[in-house]
Amino acid sequence: MQQFMNKLARYMAIIGGAILTLLILLTCVSVLGRTLNTVFHSGFAQTVLGDFAQTILDTGVGPVLGDFELVEAGIAFAIFSFIPLCQITGGHASVDIFTSTFSVRVNRFIQMIVELLFAAVLILIAWRLYEGMNSKMRYQETTFLLQFPIWWAYAASLVAACVSALVSIYVAVIRVAEFFQNRTIIHIGGGAEH
Amino acid sequence: MTNLEIGLTSFPLLLIMIFLRVPIGLAMFLAGLVGLYFINGGTNVAFAKLKTETYSTFSSYSLSIVPMFILMGHFATLGGMSQALFKAAESFLGHRRGGVAMAAVGACAGFGSICGSSLATAATMSQVALPELRRYGYSGGFSTATLAAGGTLGILIPPSVILVIYAILTEQNIAKLFLAAFIPGILAAVGYMITISIYVRLHPDSAGVREPQPMRERFRALADVWPVLIVFVAVVGGIYLGIFTPTEGAAVGAFGTGLIALINGGLTKSTLVESFIATARGTAMIFFIVLGAGFYNGFLAQSQVPQALSEWVVGLGLSPWVILSMILVLYLVFGCVMDSLSMILLTIPIFFPIISNLEFGMTSEEVAIWFGIIVLIVVEVGLITPPVGMNLFVINSMDRKTPMIETYKAVMYFVGSDIVRVVILVIFPSITLFLVRLLH
Repeated sequence: MQQFMNKLARYMAIIGGAILTLLILLTCVSVLGRTLNTVFHSGFAQTVLGDFAQTILDTGVGPVLGDFELVEAGIAFAIFSFIPLCQITGGHASVDIFTSTFSVRVNRFIQMIVELLFAAVLILIAWRLYEGMNSKMRYQETTFLLQFPIWWAYAASLVAACVSALVSIYVAVIRVAEFFQNRTIIHIGGGAEH
Repeated sequence: MTNLEIGLTSFPLLLIMIFLRVPIGLAMFLAGLVGLYFINGGTNVAFAKLKTETYSTFSSYSLSIVPMFILMGHFATLGGMSQALFKAAESFLGHRRGGVAMAAVGACAGFGSICGSSLATAATMSQVALPELRRYGYSGGFSTATLAAGGTLGILIPPSVILVIYAILTEQNIAKLFLAAFIPGILAAVGYMITISIYVRLHPDSAGVREPQPMRERFRALADVWPVLIVFVAVVGGIYLGIFTPTEGAAVGAFGTGLIALINGGLTKSTLVESFIATARGTAMIFFIVLGAGFYNGFLAQSQVPQALSEWVVGLGLSPWVILSMILVLYLVFGCVMDSLSMILLTIPIFFPIISNLEFGMTSEEVAIWFGIIVLIVVEVGLITPPVGMNLFVINSMDRKTPMIETYKAVMYFVGSDIVRVVILVIFPSITLFLVRLLH
């Protein structure tokens, strides 16, 4: 179970990273296209290159249509996919200066409450995202340039949000077990970037 | 209870949660949720907000700079640029008293110009510079403190993740903020070098000496850092000149550093996966804080607390400079226990309206830029102040032989240098605003 959850979180993070990389490439292509388009449209290129500049422009060199709509949809999915890993490795920023003076038992209790709250919040987020998707579907909202239904983007994010909720439930269950059995089952992956 | 009272009650509750180790993003989210429940007498408003707020926060085009810059930082680490930067700086400065430490600071500044995070800068430069510092007889605490302080340049010198967040929170122009951070960033590097030369004079046994290198060697080493320069000029210059948006700039930068890493052989399938993993952790942490803060601030805005506080502070009739100083001292105190991003997200929505309502003899945009840079510096001081300086932890984990207390002792000199710089920048706003005024 533990291995499955770890792998799941890791794969989600890698998929998110791959999407992020694709968005970076897409944006670069768009910038390049726009720059070339501007260059060939310039008076200088038109005089020096003449018809050749026009030939190039006719091939459709230019910015990618609606690139930022794709970035927005993709980045939301990527960030939702990053959350499971952060949950399972305990990567969230917190202040542990005071709790370090408490006993192990008290800390286990705090950890249990925190993870239960986290699971509750991530379930809430996934559920509300689902409702949000439903209303986008109902009103048939589309993006401005590419005209793709916004609920598609919501649906992609929802998948990742559900995985986040699932992983957070798993972590919460582990912490509850740890508190009641008073032993460590999974070590927290060493706080935020320690 | 009135809305205002609900808003005010949320502060102590939020702090208690944070000090009980509730992750900061979660604590703010919960405070916002409970607060909205009490103000609106039910869950309707909070739940309706949540239908779109998470998605719109995570899909924000301007915030998408953040994961791109984080990935760029990891690519920069893989690209071996830290090595080249350190070699170049060391060949010019290494033979001076404390020169290897100065070179480490110089290399951190260089690395900061392609990396938007302090922790990444501190960690990356430590890998390269720590062994060298020890080899030339620099004492443990002095070496770790130098790199911890040098790491803060990562965020001060653009690109900077925190400045992006500040710009979005206060609706300021990112390009202008990057531009404004430039001179304070250089000042910081110079200040740290002066600190080093003072330190080695007070503690002569803390640093060894080494032979100067011939000029030809120096320029050969310098020639190796050109990819850094190209990426920096392309990203910051491109954003500034309006050739592309900040998000596009971040994409170009990530692509450029990725390409360098690929050419230098640092980017393989396994390191790519590891950079994705590290980017995932860093990004998820940041966005959860951003989400929680957005939710909490939405509640605060409805409770009218920021407005009331701002009116109250202005009504006190204190000099704007006194109020500004008090805010900065508060940041320094909080910085001892809290991370910089959480502090910015938690406090800017409250402090920024106060500062904008005060009269500093500048346009409101200039005040916003100037305040942003100063806040960026004071929250960064928090990264190197004991007991919870993140940079100190990062570097200490890489050099287990040096006791933390040695690092603490030496780092206080750098904290001193930071405070002197903050005072100078507060007294002379034109230092920060010089480039912005010159180029607009």
